[in-house]
Amino acid sequence: MIKRTAQTTWTKPAGGPVTGKPIARPNRTAEVQAYFPEFVRGLAVSMRHFFKNTKEMMLGQKPDPVLESLEEGVTTICYPEERRPYPERFRGIHRLTLRDDGSPRCVACLCCSTACPAQCISIEAAEYPPGDSKRGYERYPKTFVIDELRCIFCGFCVEACPCDAIRMDTGIHAVPYDSRDQFIYRKDLLMEFSGRDGSRKSANPRHEPGDPTHPGLSRDHMEH
Amino acid sequence: MNLVELVLTVGKIAIVLGFFLNLAALGVWADRRQGAMVQDRVGPNRAVVHLPNMLARLIVLLPPALFGVLSIFLALGNVTPRLAHERALVNVQLTVLVTWLSLLVLCVTVQRGGAINKLEEMFEDIDPRSIFFGGLGLHALGLVAMRFVTLDGAPAAARITGFVLGGVFLLVGLYATSRVPEGSIPLRLAGTLHALADTIKMIFKEDFVPKNADRLLHSLAPMIAIFPAIVVTAVLPFGNDLCFADNGDKVFGFADLGNLVNAVPASGACAGWRVPLQIADLNVGILYIFAMSSTGIIGAAIAGWASDNKFSLLGGLRACSQMVSYEVAMGLALVGLFLVYDSVRLGDMAVWQGQNAWGVFVQPAGFLLFLTALCAETKRVPFDQPEGESEIVAGYFLEYSGFKWGMFMVGEYLEMCFASALLVALFFGGYSLPFIHPDGLRIAFGDAILYEYKMTHLAVTVISVLGFFGKVVLVTWFQVFFRWTLPRFRYDQLMKLGWTKLLPLAIANMMLTAVVVLAARSAGPAVASWLKILADLSQALIAVLTLAGFVALVVGLLEPVERKKFLASSAARFAAAMGGVKAEPRQA
Ligand code: SF4
Ligand code: SF4
Repeated sequence: MIKRTAQTTWTKPAGGPVTGKPIARPNRTAEVQAYFPEFVRGLAVSMRHFFKNTKEMMLGQKPDPVLESLEEGVTTICYPEERRPYPERFRGIHRLTLRDDGSPRCVACLCCSTACPAQCISIEAAEYPPGDSKRGYERYPKTFVIDELRCIFCGFCVEACPCDAIRMDTGIHAVPYDSRDQFIYRKDLLMEFSGRDGSRKSANPRHEPGDPTHPGLSRDHMEH
Repeated sequence: MNLVELVLTVGKIAIVLGFFLNLAALGVWADRRQGAMVQDRVGPNRAVVHLPNMLARLIVLLPPALFGVLSIFLALGNVTPRLAHERALVNVQLTVLVTWLSLLVLCVTVQRGGAINKLEEMFEDIDPRSIFFGGLGLHALGLVAMRFVTLDGAPAAARITGFVLGGVFLLVGLYATSRVPEGSIPLRLAGTLHALADTIKMIFKEDFVPKNADRLLHSLAPMIAIFPAIVVTAVLPFGNDLCFADNGDKVFGFADLGNLVNAVPASGACAGWRVPLQIADLNVGILYIFAMSSTGIIGAAIAGWASDNKFSLLGGLRACSQMVSYEVAMGLALVGLFLVYDSVRLGDMAVWQGQNAWGVFVQPAGFLLFLTALCAETKRVPFDQPEGESEIVAGYFLEYSGFKWGMFMVGEYLEMCFASALLVALFFGGYSLPFIHPDGLRIAFGDAILYEYKMTHLAVTVISVLGFFGKVVLVTWFQVFFRWTLPRFRYDQLMKLGWTKLLPLAIANMMLTAVVVLAARSAGPAVASWLKILADLSQALIAVLTLAGFVALVVGLLEPVERKKFLASSAARFAAAMGGVKAEPRQA
């Protein structure tokens, strides 16, 4: 006996085949089937629009940047000299956020490259040099490469990052370059970008190992 | 082929290729711009070149000054009375044209930008349409007035009108130059420079070839694709045959080129050296076009195969099967036309259409079938199945970048321009215009001659060449419109249309035409004369419609629009709600 689930408006009513509502086929008269009369009519419509709009633009009765003759109610902007503000959550090109000392916040955990559905992030992890306070505690990305041509700007990498090290808040479009290598963004470039507010760092404070706000272990790293 | 023929051929190739390549570039622009105009948005128009003020003035001054000086120079020479008469007529019409056109431009400029002197204030309240109507009246008046100019008085008339025309040109040029504003001039040309900018960009783009692609074929494919679109122009007749008299040595040499005959008989027969305005006057004519244009398929197929990409391959396959299918219908749709014209030479077809009726009137069904098949051949909307963003990412040119991609695109537009030229040659009278015969203008219905005006051979040739190129531009413009009107077909619908609709219809049309042609040929002279009158009526219809269309166009374009109406349009309201984007004191 199959268990009956409670019926909602979304579930199929139990038992019996689905009955559809018959929908009448659109009336296919010989005129419509012949295609050409309708085609001519359609052509007339687009021609009418074309002539009307051309006339109004050419005579300056409608905003047209070619003439820029209408002062009020201008509907166009002169990109790139003037720009419309981007929405708050616009996904621009990636950037890597920095620590106070200017090193990348990224700990090379590879979460982003794992999450990336387009597989366009490539990270090579490395240990900090001996003597560094972070050595043995976390790693850093020796190379961090994003192929912006493959990126689909889904933002999964930003979501995946546990350290808020990668962000997509630069407000920069994918720029049109003329060759493929120019779309390969490397660590230096990614660290150079700032957010739209001009800051390089993340807004989330970071608790470095050793400082009193740090919730984790405090062990002697130098001896590692 | 001797040297002079070679030189002439090279000249003809330069003319035809120059025209078609430029038209293709303009077609790219027109496609974008018209799409924008149909959908009420701004098209490409921001490519701008800043010209120094002096250069801008020079550009404005040079053409009118050149024409003016040329006209005065021509007026100084001595010519035969016949030529003088014709020259006077042309001078009068040109003077009227230049005058009303410049006054119209001045009127619109003044009404938009304000008057700066007494003369311009006069134009502030004038309706531009009345200037146009006045101009039309003057054109007609000029035609009537020329009836009163006798052959004896013609040289004087030609001289006077030549001076007047030169004066008008110089005046217009000087005034326009004085109106060029100070400072450097941004030259936008309504966005036509975009095509140029795109070309420059494409040259510098990376030329990417996929790793496993066949490098040779990958590079060869765009060339194969563009090749047929260029070579088929060889058989297009773009004007009346030129006729040169022999200078006595019975050999066609450079010395004969000066002896362009003054007039040819109505039949168009030429006693001396005939130079067809057609790069190659082939006997097989249209068959050559079919043979060549079908090689375009190979380009698309190779492009799809050589890029080592399944999507490209699918696109190439689709292109192939579509073009092969429609090639069949295309050829058969024309057979009726061959039966009527009794020839497959394009030159003969143009002559036939000039003497009888245009192809659209003789073969309307064939025209529709051919137009459909031609659209499918040029791979443009609604038959752009070889490409498809949603199904096959892009199409057979998916793995192409830079100029190779550009070649596919230009090839497509070239094909479109060429398709228009073919339509013109086969169905829209080729280079012939209504009532223009090799010996001049003659309005006649059957044997009743209403009006006759003899023209020189040169004048008729110039008119026919202009007529041909003008018609091609018009038809191209029309073809661009298909794209903005029709939705695409589904691929199976496309195939079904080609094989189950177009093909049988084409065959039926062919058989029907054969029966009718046989019946008409054996019917006797009475029917033939009736058919001739019908043909003349069709020519009259074209002439009247063309004139009416031109007048309606200009009047419609000059019609004032109320400001209220467009400010209430949605886009303007949207901008107002945004507070406007232009920093304007009035908005503050
Ligand atoms: S935005 Fe998406 S596709 Fe782009 S790098 Fe991040 S995860 Fe990958
Ligand atoms: S950017 Fe973030 S998710 Fe990616 S490796 Fe660095 S720390 Fe991990």
